[in-house]
Amino acid sequence: MMHLINKFFGRGSNSKEDAKQRLKFLLIHDQVDMTPAQLEAMKAEIMEVIARYMDVDQSDTVFKLERLQDKVALVSSVPVKRVTARSALHGTA
Amino acid sequence: MSQCIVITSGKGGVGKTTTTANLGVALALLGNRVAVVDADIGLRNLDVVLGLENRIVYDLVHVIEGECKLKQALIKDKRVEGLSLLPAAQTRDKSAVSPDQMRRLVAQLKETHDYVLVDCPAGIEQGFKTSIAGADRAIIVTTPEVSAIRDADRIIGLVEAAEMPEPELIINRYRRNMVRAGDMMDKDDILEILAIPLIGLIPESEEVIISTNRGHPASMDADSIVGEAMRRVARRVHGELEVPFAALEQDEGMWVSFKRWMGLAPAREVVG
Repeated sequence: MMHLINKFFGRGSNSKEDAKQRLKFLLIHDQVDMTPAQLEAMKAEIMEVIARYMDVDQSDTVFKLERLQDKVALVSSVPVKRVTARSALHGTA
Repeated sequence: MSQCIVITSGKGGVGKTTTTANLGVALALLGNRVAVVDADIGLRNLDVVLGLENRIVYDLVHVIEGECKLKQALIKDKRVEGLSLLPAAQTRDKSAVSPDQMRRLVAQLKETHDYVLVDCPAGIEQGFKTSIAGADRAIIVTTPEVSAIRDADRIIGLVEAAEMPEPELIINRYRRNMVRAGDMMDKDDILEILAIPLIGLIPESEEVIISTNRGHPASMDADSIVGEAMRRVARRVHGELEVPFAALEQDEGMWVSFKRWMGLAPAREVVG
C-alpha cells in the first residue's frame, strides 16, 4: 500500500541509495583488494596493540575503508575509557 | 591545433559507438573536419550506426598493412560536410594493430582533420591500449548503473596511468523520471564518485533506437532531444565553456506536469 502511495506521489523506493552504497563499497574493495576476513583480522591485531596501552570500548569501535579523492583511507574510531599505560609512558620519557 | 579524442567506457553496451557517431556529426556541423575511427577490430559497428556500411571498400587494417592509402579507406559522409569514417576490419582481430601503428595512423589523420575520434572497444585489454595510444584526450561514457560506473572508475585509473590529461564524462541513458523517483543515481551522485568533469548528460530516448535502425545519427536531426544533448557536448568539446545543462523537453505526460503544478513533484531535472 505504502508502495502504491509513494508511486502515486512520484516517490520511488529510493533504490538509488542502495546503488550508491554498493558502488562505494565495490570501488574501495576493487582498489584495496582485501577480503572482509582479512580486514577483521587486521582490526583484531590493531585492537590488541591498543589494548596494551588503553582501556577501550570494543563495542563502539569502528574500522572502515573510505575513499578520499583518489586515495583510500582507513578510518577508525576507538572510544577510549581510560589510559592504562600512563605510568609506563612517563617512565620511558 | 588538431586533437585526437578516444571515446571509452570499459563496460560494453553503454553507448560508446552511438556517442562517437553523434559527436563526430555534431563536431562536423560546427564546421570542423572530423575523422571517426572504428578501433573495434573484428566487431565493427560504427559504420552501421552512421549508415555508411554499404560504402566500405578498404579498412583500418588495410591502411596499416599498406594495402591502400589512408585517403582511399576514408569514407566521406555525403550528408555532413567534413565528416569521414575510417572503418574497422571485420575479419581480423585486435592483434592486427599495435599501439605504435595506431599512434602513427592518428598522427597522419591529424594532418588533415581538426578532430580524430576513436571509438574504443569494450574491455581493458589490447584493443583498449591500442585505442588510447594516439589520443590527446579521453571521454568516458557511462550509464547511471553500478556496473557501468564501476568500470568507468577503473578506466579513469588506466587513462591517468597512461599519463593522459584528466578524462571527461558523458552520462548516457539518463532517465529523469527515475532520478526524480529516487530510483536512479543522479548526475551529482555519479560525479561525487567518479570525480571527473561532466561534459555531457544524454537522456534515454527511443529516438536512439530509431536513428540507429535508420543509420541516421540523432545529432543530424534539429528537433531530436538526444541530438540537441549531443550537439551541446560537441560545443563543450570544441571549447565553448558556458554551455548550460539546461532542461530539454522530454515527454513526461500531463500527470507529472499537473503534479509539478500542485507542488507534488520536484522542479525540472536538468538534462543536456
